[in-house]
Amino acid sequence: MTNAILTSRRTLLLGAATALAAPALLTRPAYAITPDEIKKRGKIIIGIQGDNPPWGFVNSAGKQEGIDADIGELFGKELGVPVQFMALEVANRIPALTAGRVDVLFATMAMLPDRAKAVQFSKPYVANQIVLLAPKTVDIKTNADMAKFTISVARGAAQDTEVTRNAPSGTNILRMDGDAASIQAVVSGQAQAIGGNIFYIRRLEDAKPGVFEQKLTFTSIYNGACTRLGERELNAAINTFIDKIKANGELAKITRKWMNAEQPPMPEKLDNIPFTVG
Amino acid sequence: MLNYTLDFGPVIEGLPDLLRGCVGTLSLAFAGMVIALVIGIGGVVLRGSPIRPVRWLVIAFVELIRNTPFLVQIYFVFFALPLIGIRLSPTPTAIIALGLNGGAYAIEIIRGGVQAINKGQIEAGFALGLHKRDVFRYIVLRPALRAVYPSLTGQFIMLMLTTSIASAIAAYELTSVAKLIENASFRSFEVYGTITLLYLLLSWLMMQVFNLIGRRYFSYPVK
Amino acid sequence: MGPAEYLFLLSGLKWTLALSAVGFVGGGIAGLLVALCRSSGRRWLERTAAGYIGLFQGTPLLMQLFVVYYGLSLVGIDLDAWSAVAIGFTLHASAYLGEIWRGSIEAVPKGQSEAARALGIKYRSRMIDVVLPQAFRISLPATIGFLVQLIKGTSLASIVGFTELARAGNIVSNQIFKPLLVFGIVGLFYFMICWPLSLYGSWLEKRLAGPAR
Repeated sequence: MTNAILTSRRTLLLGAATALAAPALLTRPAYAITPDEIKKRGKIIIGIQGDNPPWGFVNSAGKQEGIDADIGELFGKELGVPVQFMALEVANRIPALTAGRVDVLFATMAMLPDRAKAVQFSKPYVANQIVLLAPKTVDIKTNADMAKFTISVARGAAQDTEVTRNAPSGTNILRMDGDAASIQAVVSGQAQAIGGNIFYIRRLEDAKPGVFEQKLTFTSIYNGACTRLGERELNAAINTFIDKIKANGELAKITRKWMNAEQPPMPEKLDNIPFTVG
Repeated sequence: MLNYTLDFGPVIEGLPDLLRGCVGTLSLAFAGMVIALVIGIGGVVLRGSPIRPVRWLVIAFVELIRNTPFLVQIYFVFFALPLIGIRLSPTPTAIIALGLNGGAYAIEIIRGGVQAINKGQIEAGFALGLHKRDVFRYIVLRPALRAVYPSLTGQFIMLMLTTSIASAIAAYELTSVAKLIENASFRSFEVYGTITLLYLLLSWLMMQVFNLIGRRYFSYPVK
Repeated sequence: MGPAEYLFLLSGLKWTLALSAVGFVGGGIAGLLVALCRSSGRRWLERTAAGYIGLFQGTPLLMQLFVVYYGLSLVGIDLDAWSAVAIGFTLHASAYLGEIWRGSIEAVPKGQSEAARALGIKYRSRMIDVVLPQAFRISLPATIGFLVQLIKGTSLASIVGFTELARAGNIVSNQIFKPLLVFGIVGLFYFMICWPLSLYGSWLEKRLAGPAR
């Protein structure tokens, strides 16, 4: 039995008219929240990644885990409210924040100047390195070598920015819907190299032991928490919180647990990226 | 003091890219349709084969494709087939997946039309001394295609809409382009709302073209 | 692939079925309204319904989900992924079912509603007691066909991050890196749900066409 439904020309035009009328119905709501309002509401909604170990991932029991999850739990405790984690796709993190679905992002948000125009970053709390990984048999020694291959990245992530910037123009870059998809692409051979963070090597080792190695190092980046532009109190509360867990050793405990290595000291400032509401 | 205002700026700036994406969508759809039509007609012929395994193969193909989601089909071709040595880049993957998917539906639609052909017509054809191939082409296939033309073209328009799923493997079409613009600008609603309208436009365009073709080829009177 | 992975796939399957059910039932109720408007005889009602149907039939389901998912937040309705996709599918189903049922309402022989009107039966009773039961019977094959499309369509909820069967398959495939096996099994699960429904629909179609021969 078929399901071919042919709409008449008129119906399609009417459809267009209906669609055009829709935005007129939209209001312009204001999204701003303060720590007091969060406490009154009784819970904090934290945006986090769901498939990016060890930063944020959902384990097979359905529980949210990772560096960001531990830090998020601590922040919830600081405010005295339970935490509701909302796992977000890479490309969905900032839209979810600006649309009001989440109150704050602890979602492996690399602090980049372009993003600082759309959201408010807190002080950096953890460092990361963006690198290029490929099978040992693939010959990539310089940025220029990337032109010969197909490179997969998670669209919109820091590695997307770095590979796009460093690869010669015309390089075939496969921008997939998220970290997991980009890893699947390189493991299945659809791409010959992958841009990612330093923890990708563990996942690649799980997939194909002994095959992959780090080829190029692009840059060190820092992750910060994100709030909406203009939310002064919440941003201040997060900065105070980050100072606190740095001072009392909680942050070091978390990073040691997940990353097995010591973190470099965080920078006091980053160009074009304010840590506080100006 | 914070509000979310609609800002179509990035969309307007990205319009040339979006239009190129539309061309990509139409190319994928057209290539998929051609393959689907070939599979459709071929499948109907094989479906009528006296050899039972051949018939069953066609039936299995049709049922398998029509009862599994296109997303899973395209993931399978893109991620799983490389394991057995078939590695295709995103665009050929999308075209083949679309062709197979469209083909399965085309087989059923065309078969419905073929079955409705009056046996007397076929017998008359043979009685007039026509070759088997000519009987099939002029007495069976052409009237069948004419009868199912609305269903078939409707299915092909749905095929064009289905190309948006190919964005999951980063094939070059409108939704992929939109995702890139959305990433750079964070204006999700504006971007996706706009390309929804673009798809509506493409649907309308395709329908006009199909109507024109239909009038050109199938406007002989039917008894 | 161990029992834990199978269980995770099954939990995804549970959400696929839940989403399909909500979309079908919600879309069915709304779709009935759409169908009645579309065949009401009042021009502005018919045109509005036609526009609504045309919008959903002329655009990809994926885009409909995106627009609902991102758009709802804008009008101040803050929903999680589940609710957003549930609403998206309900709207989608209401348009398609509305069109299917409009067709079957119009396929009921006109003599039926004319006779009913002659007997003085009002619109509501005419619809509920005379037209709709017959229309429903006529529409069954196409309705079941659409249900199959809806179940397959829930796979797109994975792209907005909702963990139904297709996304569960993606996650498992990423953990154990056996895409052939995993996507094969995921396909099999969809097939086992959809194929019986498709067969039932075909059987119904043949049965309904039977007396006409």
